[in-house]
Amino acid sequence: MKTLRAYLSTLLIAALVFTSLPLAAAPTAPQSMDLISTQSVLAGDRAGADRERINEILARADVQEQLLKQGVDLDEVDARVAALSDAEAQQMAEQLEMMPAGAGGGVIGALFAVFIILLITDILGLTDVYPFTR
Amino acid sequence: MTYLLSNARLAGVFILLLLLTGCARNPVLLQSTYSDLPPDVELQEVPFYAQTEFQCGPATLAMVLNHQGIEASVDQLIPQVFQPGREGSVQPEMLATVRRYEQLAFPIRGTMDTLLGHLAAGDPVVVMQNLSLPIYPMWHYAVAIGYDLPNETLILRSGEIERHTMSFSRFDATWARTERWGFVVAEPGTLPDGITARNALEAISAYEEVHGASAALSSWQAFVERHPANSVGQFALANALYADQQEDEARSAFTRATELDPTMGAAWLNLGILLLQNDELSKARSALSKAANLDGEWQARAQQLLDGM
Repeated sequence: MKTLRAYLSTLLIAALVFTSLPLAAAPTAPQSMDLISTQSVLAGDRAGADRERINEILARADVQEQLLKQGVDLDEVDARVAALSDAEAQQMAEQLEMMPAGAGGGVIGALFAVFIILLITDILGLTDVYPFTR
Repeated sequence: MTYLLSNARLAGVFILLLLLTGCARNPVLLQSTYSDLPPDVELQEVPFYAQTEFQCGPATLAMVLNHQGIEASVDQLIPQVFQPGREGSVQPEMLATVRRYEQLAFPIRGTMDTLLGHLAAGDPVVVMQNLSLPIYPMWHYAVAIGYDLPNETLILRSGEIERHTMSFSRFDATWARTERWGFVVAEPGTLPDGITARNALEAISAYEEVHGASAALSSWQAFVERHPANSVGQFALANALYADQQEDEARSAFTRATELDPTMGAAWLNLGILLLQNDELSKARSALSKAANLDGEWQARAQQLLDGM
């Protein structure tokens, strides 16, 4: 992944530099008339547009790989990545490992001490682990 | 010596218990919550799907989507949001999956008052909880469907329990461990009451990224109606109008954005580009020079356009 990432970044940087060259070389050439998007205004104080774009492409590639690693179906991965906003894709790429994954109902096959602690906190009304405490 | 040690241990347990009970106090609600909201609410029409195994994410999504009149079964949602390796579903994908069904997911403000407000307004709320303690987390999604203010209980569709009642204090303790994360679902063109302007902007913008500006137009219109003085909202509406080929309306919305926030370079720049496309050169020049005189990332682009004129 590291090498792929490095390779991809170099490629992207080269591509972006190359495509922006004609503009820099000939400022009198017809200008792009694209409007500034709402998304780039909301992204606001984040880094410059080009670096931003590179990060987003890399983030999506990252997320794709991570979802595959988590056992998500190959057919589903693309649609799942496409449904994420840029900000979400970036968040997932950076911290999927640490992100809480809501599961619920997982039986706690834990140490007796943990069982006792959670039993007490359940009775105290701090947690909601064992249904029989209510 | 052993006597001393066991005494110390007992004291430790005692102090720990004291500390824990100290945290278990009831969340304090605003006076306005008691005076403005009905004393009890229960959205009984929200369907219930019991979760199997670790599928509380897909199950909660099925409940809120079906409540919106969208056909989506738990089995259909599992491959879309569940991560087998993590044995669970993560927050960004919960929001993203809602969007795949052409609905918007609005994160709510994380307070008990806001939560109850959404329920009173008729919107079920997907909440994320840590049912256990931070050192041994048990992350869980549930759908809050009602409350009982005098008894201080919340009603949830949760796990395998169709009507799970929970005291405010217990719920808030489990909810606080996810920084009180939750969201409501709404169809395009509607903006649920009580959503902050920032959260609404992000949610509609994310929807626009996936479904395009024309699909988001009605939501931007609803946003501007709710927050008429929000300059970013006017700017976003203008962009969506432009994408929908309503150029005159787009132009006046860009103008409103610059009136509301004269320091918004992006709005001046977009207004300038629209005028330039229309060959209104002197107006374009004045809008572009405003953008070129404002520090920020749009400055260079505006200057470039000015130079090219």
